[in-house]
Amino acid sequence: MTQKIIFSPSPHIHTGRTTGGIMRHVLIALAPAVACALWFFGLPALWVLVTSVASCVATEWLITRYMLRRPVSLSDCSAILTGVLLALTLPSGLPLWMAAAGGIVAIGIAKMAFGGLGCNIFNPALVGRVFLLISFPVAMTTWPLPASPFTDTDGATGATVLSQLKMGLADSGALDMLGMFTGDMGGSMGEVSAAALLLGFIYLLALRIIKWHIPVSIVAGLVLVDLIAGFPPLTDILSGGLLIGAIFMATDYVTSPMSRRGMLLYGLMIGINTAVIRRWGSYPEGISFAILIMNGATPLINRYMHNARFSPRRKEAAA
Amino acid sequence: MSHTFKTGGIHPHGFKTASPEIQFQSLPMTATVLLSQHLGAPAAPIVGKGDKVTRGMLIAESASYVSASVHAPISGIVNSIEDVVLPNGKNGRAIIIKADETEHESDICARVEYWTKTVPEASSRDLSESLSSKEIQSRILSAGIVGLGGATFPSHVKIGLKPTQKADTLIINGCECEPYLMCDDALMCTWAPQTVEGVELIMKAASIEKAVIAIEDNKPRAIKAMRSALDSAHNISVMPVKTKYPQGGEKQLIEAVTGRRVGSGGLPISVGVIVHNVATAFAVWQAVATGQPLIERIVTITGDIPAGQRCNYMAAIGTPLADFPYTLPEEARVIVGGPMMGRTAVRLDTPVTKGTSGLTILSGKGHRPIQPCIRCGACSDACPMGLDPYLLATYGRLRMFEEAAAADVADCIECGSCSWSCPSSRPILDFIRVAKQRSRK
Amino acid sequence: MNLIICSVVVLGLIGFAGALLLYATARKFRVDEDPRIDRIVSVLPDANCGGCGLKGCRDFAARCVSQGSLKGLHCPVSTAENIEAIASVLGVAAEATERHIAVVRCNGSCDARQELYTYDGALTCSIMDATGVGTRGCAYGCLGCGDCVAVCKFGAINIDPTTKLPVIDPDKCTACGACVNECPRHIIELRPAGLRDRRVWVACSNRERGALARKTCTAACIACSKCVKACPFGAVTVSDNLSYINPDLCKTCSKCVTVCPTGAILSSFPVLNKTAVQS
Repeated sequence: MTQKIIFSPSPHIHTGRTTGGIMRHVLIALAPAVACALWFFGLPALWVLVTSVASCVATEWLITRYMLRRPVSLSDCSAILTGVLLALTLPSGLPLWMAAAGGIVAIGIAKMAFGGLGCNIFNPALVGRVFLLISFPVAMTTWPLPASPFTDTDGATGATVLSQLKMGLADSGALDMLGMFTGDMGGSMGEVSAAALLLGFIYLLALRIIKWHIPVSIVAGLVLVDLIAGFPPLTDILSGGLLIGAIFMATDYVTSPMSRRGMLLYGLMIGINTAVIRRWGSYPEGISFAILIMNGATPLINRYMHNARFSPRRKEAAA
Repeated sequence: MSHTFKTGGIHPHGFKTASPEIQFQSLPMTATVLLSQHLGAPAAPIVGKGDKVTRGMLIAESASYVSASVHAPISGIVNSIEDVVLPNGKNGRAIIIKADETEHESDICARVEYWTKTVPEASSRDLSESLSSKEIQSRILSAGIVGLGGATFPSHVKIGLKPTQKADTLIINGCECEPYLMCDDALMCTWAPQTVEGVELIMKAASIEKAVIAIEDNKPRAIKAMRSALDSAHNISVMPVKTKYPQGGEKQLIEAVTGRRVGSGGLPISVGVIVHNVATAFAVWQAVATGQPLIERIVTITGDIPAGQRCNYMAAIGTPLADFPYTLPEEARVIVGGPMMGRTAVRLDTPVTKGTSGLTILSGKGHRPIQPCIRCGACSDACPMGLDPYLLATYGRLRMFEEAAAADVADCIECGSCSWSCPSSRPILDFIRVAKQRSRK
Repeated sequence: MNLIICSVVVLGLIGFAGALLLYATARKFRVDEDPRIDRIVSVLPDANCGGCGLKGCRDFAARCVSQGSLKGLHCPVSTAENIEAIASVLGVAAEATERHIAVVRCNGSCDARQELYTYDGALTCSIMDATGVGTRGCAYGCLGCGDCVAVCKFGAINIDPTTKLPVIDPDKCTACGACVNECPRHIIELRPAGLRDRRVWVACSNRERGALARKTCTAACIACSKCVKACPFGAVTVSDNLSYINPDLCKTCSKCVTVCPTGAILSSFPVLNKTAVQS
């Protein structure tokens, strides 16, 4: 017989969806937010973005190539995604070396030190951001205000809506909700435009890359605490990084629970933690910390919360 | 709203492109009839070398309660009873029958007569009135009928209920949820009235009042044909179910049709249901109405072969797989059954058996490089049994078989939805299979 | 002053409540353990290698205590003194254990079994075994993916690049049995190391009838029983179409090695070839 007969285990067909493909879809979903960041913050934002991505990719390449001596795994695009996500949580006026340091910490410590893709406990981009926030609090809270695109932003900076509220500088009743929805406010590069982030959310939901459970339960948890604390929920949702955190950070596959019930609990706890930190903590923003805390709880949630069985578990003997 | 099961499931592309007409594959001059074409004990041969056999004659008896008889698919001389290579490369005992020209000619005439005159004209309506349940059961037993959906479980065992067992619903499985395969579709389009009479016979044999024929809604022709054949039948209905894999899984189908869930390790009868394949119903009709035992079945030849070659064939058991007219691609995976659960054949000189629902021929290699698990949970979402495939696979890989057993690895139906949906192309089902096999010991 | 007293009292109360809680928890969750387990752990080499096939030294010690003897338990790192000490803790006499070495009961090299089929799947013996007969058509023999190599903690197994069969380094093998359990086809066997390191074994696991076995592999045991007749000590038996040499009776005279027509019987020492014996 001239033909080559191949034997292989079933199933013999595959969905066609790949890890790299999923990462690319998430990148596409982030495109509106990236565009908004460039529109509002101009060239400096682009430089921060490029530095952050380059630093993440270079770190992963160097570590896989020279320390682990494994095949280089850049084709799965996860390092690029981490770089973009990290950049979107930084202020656009950040010194570039800080952005690079954030990328090195994100990939080198939060991801590769744990064993690379799929093994990290904490979201790499958030670890990078929190590292920068704790190390360089001043630079990380100097928010250039949105300006007309591609002009020289000459240091017009201001506080975010949340920190203004925290310090009693603004009245929550007199905020420009529409501006906050479209992105006309101070803040990190990617967090300002709720509209762009929601567009990405719809894209990811439509392609079934993520499920609604985590983002919706995060918002629900936040609103719950807001109602108890008597804080206007809509302001809380639109101001600050809640949406980018809920849609893109908390839903990271590796660091979030796998069952739907687990996702709901995880999201709810993130929402509650965020609101508690925002209302009663010393930081004006709490979503990064809340997500990292719940990242730590994810293995436990996975251990105890599973999807519903088809056949109910057999009753185990009481002994 | 169409009926379906609730937990998991996937939507692979159907590829149901084979021609729904049934062609007749010519009878082979040499038939290799395996003694173990069913679950359970292999049949015991009752003929010896040099014996003359005729088409339809009993050549091997069922050896125990869970076993099935085997009949001669062609007339001729028993050439030998020996070990032959099975499609998977292992060895199994078979009776090899060789025909000479005259026997071959007369077989062909008898076959043409049977399919063009006997089958269209025969009816079991009067018979099912006159025959008792026991008589129908004994005919099913003697005709060597097994579940033709693929599991090849001897049918008389399922139908012959113990006095303590009671079934209120008979589900006839015409879902054919595997991509590519079309043999049940072709059967229902061609011989719908006969199949419905077969359903009536099974109802009578197992004393069941109600029957539901479940067909996936991607087969409108089959649904229409079966509905129009129903007009005179009582207590039988056709239920279109959602096209979703694995809709044809026994437990999944029972949930879709009745809303009842079979418990872990339980049989359908525990919720008062019996499930049979449509092809089995047709075989029962053949055995009772025409007296022909199970010596032929429909085989779908499909996959990455020229469109004209994708066909449904009525083929005699024992026809070598290589006899069908198809051209293999350069690098081929020849799958006996569908692409989700079928097993690849390494030898094409092996015969069609009672469980051969089709050959799916795929070109090239399908295996992708294994990447790290990113814990996306796609496997858990896809699992129709609601298990955690990623966890079970890890247990299998790390040889933690006790833990796997505690996590109900035995519930896995090996449908392959987990491996199908894994974006990192991990061999999830493969390791679960290992865990399942080893934890059973 | 009042403040100081107040603090002392409050802190004292908190401390007392904490102590009570700790005490109660310790009582509630106390695990009674046989003190002999600790004593055995202290006399073990404590390599924690898992070479015994259990989950480390403590598990080994617990198993020793639970079954009350050393039967079937083997610590590959322990010396005779260690074993003696364990036995004295258990209060049993130490049995002199013979050194064992793993042997591969398959000799189906690339020459003996042609590559017939192409495999397309995860390169693991256990998965390939569940999928089919393997690339070389034998349903009993070595699959060559090296699950045994991966599981060996002592680096004693390597896949020979020319024969694609595992080769066991007798100096490194500790007879821990990990490979025996790992092999999905159960072709690895632990056999006594033998006098002066002389071992003879049947390197085939094929239970097909002779002709069929021969068809798949030229080095297969065809159950011709020549070895049974040649053995002066009655150590060789044939059952299930497969010859087996009982290591307790075998005196490693290697007569069976010379008569085997397919070369399915191997020895750990050089044997004069067949023609040399006849002449």
